[in-house]
Amino acid sequence: MNKQIYLDYNATVPLLKEVKKSLIDCMDVGPLNASSIHYYGRKGKDIIDVARTNLGKLINTNKNNIIFTGSATEAINLLFSNFNTIVVSSIEHLAVLSSSKSDHIIPVTRDGIVDLNFLETYLKKLVKNNKKTLVSVMWVNNESGVIQPIEEVVEIAKKYECLVHCDAAQALGKIKINLEEIELDFLTLSGHKIGAPTGIGALVYNDKINLTPQILGGGQEKGMRAGTENILGIRGFGEAAKIMINTKENNCSQVEVLRDFFQQKIKDYRPETIIFGEKANRVANTLLIALPQIPGDLALIKLDLESFSVSSGSACSSGKISKSHVVSSMGYDKLASNSVRFSFPPNDAILNSESLITTKELDMLARCWSNL
Amino acid sequence: MININQVIKEMDLEGNPSDHRVVVAMSGGVDSSVTAALLVEAGFEVIGLTMQLYDYGKALQKKGACCAGSDINDARLVSSKLGIPHYVLNYESIFQDQVIDDFADSYLRGATPIPCVRCNQTVKFTDMFDRAKNLGASAMATGHYIRRKIKLGKPSLHTGIDLSKDQSYFLFATTKKQLEFVRFPLGSLTKGETRAVAKRHDLNVANKPDSQDICFVPEGKYADVVRKLRPGSIEAGNIIDVNGNVLGKHNGIIDFTIGQRKGIGVGGRKGINDNNSILYVIALDTEKNNVVVGPKEFLSCNKIKISECNWLIDLINEAEFRVLVKLRNSSQPVIGTIKVNFDNSIAYLSFDKPQFGVSTGQAAVFYDFKESSHILGGGWITEAPNKLADINLYNA
Repeated sequence: MNKQIYLDYNATVPLLKEVKKSLIDCMDVGPLNASSIHYYGRKGKDIIDVARTNLGKLINTNKNNIIFTGSATEAINLLFSNFNTIVVSSIEHLAVLSSSKSDHIIPVTRDGIVDLNFLETYLKKLVKNNKKTLVSVMWVNNESGVIQPIEEVVEIAKKYECLVHCDAAQALGKIKINLEEIELDFLTLSGHKIGAPTGIGALVYNDKINLTPQILGGGQEKGMRAGTENILGIRGFGEAAKIMINTKENNCSQVEVLRDFFQQKIKDYRPETIIFGEKANRVANTLLIALPQIPGDLALIKLDLESFSVSSGSACSSGKISKSHVVSSMGYDKLASNSVRFSFPPNDAILNSESLITTKELDMLARCWSNL
Repeated sequence: MININQVIKEMDLEGNPSDHRVVVAMSGGVDSSVTAALLVEAGFEVIGLTMQLYDYGKALQKKGACCAGSDINDARLVSSKLGIPHYVLNYESIFQDQVIDDFADSYLRGATPIPCVRCNQTVKFTDMFDRAKNLGASAMATGHYIRRKIKLGKPSLHTGIDLSKDQSYFLFATTKKQLEFVRFPLGSLTKGETRAVAKRHDLNVANKPDSQDICFVPEGKYADVVRKLRPGSIEAGNIIDVNGNVLGKHNGIIDFTIGQRKGIGVGGRKGINDNNSILYVIALDTEKNNVVVGPKEFLSCNKIKISECNWLIDLINEAEFRVLVKLRNSSQPVIGTIKVNFDNSIAYLSFDKPQFGVSTGQAAVFYDFKESSHILGGGWITEAPNKLADINLYNA
């Protein structure tokens, strides 16, 4: 088999070596049910506490405001079950769009940025009749990589006394998240986007607001999420967070050089390629592109057969590829079935801990693209 | 025992199997799974493609069911077992436009459609074909029980060896051009042999029952599906006899098929105890929204018009010849004489003996009069006048 070239880091980041080691250490400690009052129970509690502290440090918030969940999706579902009126942007992840069941949708510009004027006008009208409105806008879009003006969203939302949730699954590890500097009420995170195992997420919340849990039982996670804690997942998330803290300000310059090199090659070899969100402020690792004549599934299959693992915007768990609602929302309806996403490691630390992607391989990939 | 060299030979691809990429259309059933298994065994580079055709959860009206259903998962498991890449193609909107809508509209016209043929004709052998070609495949293989043979240097289509499983009726619309690219490795196998191969490969689908119904119609209740697809366009009306007497009411002509005997909702004629007392659906009058019932003799049909003909042989224009013709998948072929029009697109077929219960919307598939396994072509029955029509014509 050929060497597989993986460029789907926005889907999942491979388990980091240090994280893997921490998991094995954790497995060697013994039976870890953090609810037990004996020696092993205390060990379990300690592990969770360290992880919570690390994650709190990474995003600069009080660790006591963090609840571990089974995924970012679960965290979002838990949060949204507490609100009747939720205003969302049109490019949110399905975790937000499906669980909010919202009809209050804020469009985006052709560059993929949430329309702030629309948001303001909309909230002005909406909140007259509605108490307890939640505004939910993602920090970084998972498909286009476009960074959303989250500070402005918060400012507008607060003006109309709304609470604000930010899906930061794609922001973590790519850009700096400092919750001391932004007045967010809720933030949701996913461990496997920064090199922790899958199956661990977190809800960060403002403890002045009472939330009702969805999963009831033994009262774990301050009663907000019952069920024996996923010690390995939590340990892994904490360890990955620690690595991110020690990374200089989420340095992404090497990643950006690679992405831009690849983008330029694509432009050189196949100039008619459309690059989504090119003019917007994007994270350094993401490139969403399309060819007018080539369906996305065909591109993905061909690239996969050439040993390149990339992704289309949105695939169902069955593997069926649907139209990208993100590309559609950006006003490119005709290209919504054609988009292909290349996502590099989220930052230089993760890039360097992986087997490096060479410019030669990227050149090969760009040639494959041009031959589609 | 399957002879793998025979499989390779019938694939009709030059050079070594390993030189060729072959796409297998995998439904998740045992037939297409074994097709993939045999081609892997033969040494071809095999890629499995599965079509997602409709929202499975919605079709079954099951909340929370995945859009894909278990068949796609079966295809994936088989592919994984065989060590081949497998992909799912989203053809939901094409399938809706070209198969499901046509299905509903046909019933509203009083015809009885065969969506499986439309699906083979459009989604499978057009869109999936293109995809297979785009992927650089030398051929696309399916798990149909039908044979492709080379005759005088050209591919021809023949019934499957296992006549109880023969699928030629559903594949008459395969064009000559498509026949160059498509392969049917199971055509020379019996169903028993297919299952044996599946067991030998320890495939999870080895004991999976054959699919019986139209895939998007749960439990064969086609009328429920049509009602859901075309709400408001189905109205109650009268059930009348051939003389126009009202015998009862119906809830929509879509519930009836020409030739239907059971479940009409009106009893036989009282006091008369011969064959004429049994009532059949004779006609579906869409204009007046009437279901016409009568004794079997009124179903008698001598001649039909067949449109959108597809020919797998070379024909001279306006040819006239004897053929064997199948009017239903489950029925035996009957003998008739065919005459084609100037461009071979329309055929008129006169039966040697009158046929009963011929319905428009069904296919007429032609087989060589002398070599009954050889499929010559086929088309859609657009006119099938029976005795009732003859009488009406006379009265007019």
